[in-house]
Amino acid sequence: MIEVQDLRKEYGGFVAVEGSSFSVDRGEVFGVIGPNGAGKTTTLKTLAGLIEPTAGTAVVADRPAGHPDMQRTLGFLPEESPLYEEMTAHSYLEFFADLYDVPGDVASERITEALDRLDLEHRDRRIGNMSKGMTRKVAIARALVNDPEVLIFDEPASGLDPLTTNYIIDFTRELSDEGKTIVFSAHNLYHVESICDRVVIMNEGEIVARGTLDEIREAHGGAEYHVYATVDAGGAIRENGHFRHVVDDMDAVDRVRASVEADDGRVTDIQTHTPSLEDIFLDVAGEARA
Amino acid sequence: MRPRRIAHIARWEVSRSAGTVDRKTILVLVAMALVVGVVGVSVVGSGAGLEDDLYRVGVDGRVDGAGSNPYVDVVEASPQFTLVETTAAEFASGDSDADVFTGGPGHLRSDGSTKGDAAHAAFRDAIDRYNHELMDAEVDEDAAYPVRVSVRYQQRDLADPPGSGGDRPDAGGSAGDGSDGSSDGSGGFDDPSFGDDSSGAASAERDDSRLRIPDVGGGSLGESVDAGTPGAISPPFPFQSLVLAFLFVVPMNFVIQAYGSTIMDERIKRRGELLLVAPITSTEIVAGKTLPYLVGVVAIAAVITGVIEGGPLSVLAALPIALLFLAATFVSALLARSFKELTFVTVAISVFLTTYTFVPAIFTDVTPIALISPLTLIVMDLQGETATLGEYLFSTGAFYLGATVLFALGIGIYREEDLFTQKPIPAKVLDALAGRIRGYRHVPLLSILFIPFVFVGQLLAVALLFALPTHLALPVLFVVVSVLEELAKSVHVYAGFARSRFEASLGTAVVVGTLAGAGFFVGEKLTHVVQFVGLPDLEVGLAAFGPALSAEPLVLAVLFVVPLVLHSVTAVISAVGASRGRTQYALAFTAAVLVHTGYNLGVIGLVS
Repeated sequence: MIEVQDLRKEYGGFVAVEGSSFSVDRGEVFGVIGPNGAGKTTTLKTLAGLIEPTAGTAVVADRPAGHPDMQRTLGFLPEESPLYEEMTAHSYLEFFADLYDVPGDVASERITEALDRLDLEHRDRRIGNMSKGMTRKVAIARALVNDPEVLIFDEPASGLDPLTTNYIIDFTRELSDEGKTIVFSAHNLYHVESICDRVVIMNEGEIVARGTLDEIREAHGGAEYHVYATVDAGGAIRENGHFRHVVDDMDAVDRVRASVEADDGRVTDIQTHTPSLEDIFLDVAGEARA
Repeated sequence: MRPRRIAHIARWEVSRSAGTVDRKTILVLVAMALVVGVVGVSVVGSGAGLEDDLYRVGVDGRVDGAGSNPYVDVVEASPQFTLVETTAAEFASGDSDADVFTGGPGHLRSDGSTKGDAAHAAFRDAIDRYNHELMDAEVDEDAAYPVRVSVRYQQRDLADPPGSGGDRPDAGGSAGDGSDGSSDGSGGFDDPSFGDDSSGAASAERDDSRLRIPDVGGGSLGESVDAGTPGAISPPFPFQSLVLAFLFVVPMNFVIQAYGSTIMDERIKRRGELLLVAPITSTEIVAGKTLPYLVGVVAIAAVITGVIEGGPLSVLAALPIALLFLAATFVSALLARSFKELTFVTVAISVFLTTYTFVPAIFTDVTPIALISPLTLIVMDLQGETATLGEYLFSTGAFYLGATVLFALGIGIYREEDLFTQKPIPAKVLDALAGRIRGYRHVPLLSILFIPFVFVGQLLAVALLFALPTHLALPVLFVVVSVLEELAKSVHVYAGFARSRFEASLGTAVVVGTLAGAGFFVGEKLTHVVQFVGLPDLEVGLAAFGPALSAEPLVLAVLFVVPLVLHSVTAVISAVGASRGRTQYALAFTAAVLVHTGYNLGVIGLVS
């Protein structure tokens, strides 16, 4: 559904994105994560056709990014989406529906459905008088008025309270279940981990890790084992009267066990620890900076 | 462009903007409308009534019926005066409250006060007007105006020393005619049945051809000279029409503030980003957002035209002015980094464009330079004159083309990367120019498109310099012309190199420089349209726009080939500098200007 090849974007002398390539399958939820200034937003805006790449190509729904036919199949939610505050939610959405050539009756039905699902009240209130969470819901509804095949969500829950955040994450999951292809960016990696099928980690304009979450864990720090014993078999950390040995495979666990027993000690517990996406992200970003 | 899309955005812009207008703004708009209305009505009519019954005219004798004082009719015809029945004795002793007193034909006295003197002068003018109306109402025109005087304005030879013009037979003839007319009519100053010198001059039959050039080059405009000389004939100053024409420009200054704000709003608050993602083009967005303001200004112009009884020409002339106002504001709103900066820029636009349109229009009845402003067409229209299609195109062409180019450049940077970033203005200007360069073919095209700006710049220079002595005006004009033309040929080439549209090599610089020069040459030939309105009759006009086309094939060939070579060479000089960076571009540009100025001096020397 989305194909990005050797994408490069340069602003003056500053390279924002360098040689990015990835693809997103139909119906997939694809995460783009990275620290501030990593090139995530530039990548997403290039996909939306807002930014013209300096080099490389971006194809969305078989059309070059920015092509009018491609724009009809796209719903874009930028990180900041200031709306026209003097309009009501309903008139604002109707205006955009018309821009996408959605027939009036279909638009009306679609707008009502979207606002119902987003649980937006006060639909005839001027947007300027709405809370930030309500405004964000209007922005999400706007991204849906054309019933797009592809959704690009850049930090959809940025700056919102936990309740609204969870609501929006759940809603994104619902959209995914309906078969929408979603490219998703968020600083909260828990959200990314909870809904994304695959991710790329970007740092300083380049993709430094990619794949499914398991693949990334595998490549950038798989499971680790914590062996607790009554004696130190070497390199252990003392915790609550026990010695914790951290090893990364079962052979190492066996070696620790043997060593402990040779010193007349005993193994009291063995725990398996799987690193979170955040651990991997910090690890990868740290490596890249180093 | 899809009209339905544009109309949709335009409707949205209207409804959205309507929601942002607060009470204070509405009050300002109402106040503005009132001012425009009052000025219009008061100028069209006999006044706003502020001077009604201002002076009291004392009359001794019968005020009605046969044998009554003939000045009574004058008093009754003018709302400025109130009739007071009194006697000479009462007036002399100060017992009467009359400001002036008349005892009968030929007798008119002031009470000696300042107001009395003013009333005396005003009443004499009223008598003149009254007489004039009587003459105009006379069925037998020959009886009313037994002597007809033809006045023909002659251009003064600027090379002649002051005073020598009067020695020329033609100038002397005009002067003699004019003074004859004056003396004929000045005999019965206080007699209601005769005209004075001004009425005599006014009744002189004006030459049919418009836009003659009078003797104003030496600075005689407004200068007090003795009667009987050509300078005694005051150049026509269309005060009333000019004030009314100015009314068309006033609302534009307010509308661009609102227009600039709406464009700026899209940028500063990033609200326009989502429109850019929708399946509509930047051109459609800009057209839709601009349309309501353009329609608004034209509608206001139409209303003003209706109120002041103008014709369709007034509206047609106001259209390009409005377009240029909006186009300049649009580009400014895209370049400004804050509302504060936008305010500064829009005020600058208001001042510049208002000056550019208004000042030349002052000379509507004096010189063809006036036609550089479409406002001149409005003045002509209000004076009951018509304009030829050529005059309309000459007057408005630069405005239409200029507005088109500005909108095109602005639309080029109506994109995410430029709308929502705070780059320095020069950098955005370069972006706008580079955005229009997608190959070598665009280089000559841009050179041609810049011709309107060169044209306007040169016309403005001519308008500002034509009253100066030639030996001062010409050198300045030569440099201004060279700078403008070299800028038009090189600035987009520099933008192309600065934004990596071209490979920075000597070969590429030569190619794009040649293309830029050749393109400009083609565009420049279009400026020969000025010859259809006689602008090169002026010496400074000749300096700016070159000599008139010759019928000699050899001369014609030289006039075509040599400028082509000049433009190409100087454009290549600038392009080579542009390919090597900003400082080198500045140096090369200066060199190109020097070469160009030298060429102009040489050509004018040869031709003259």
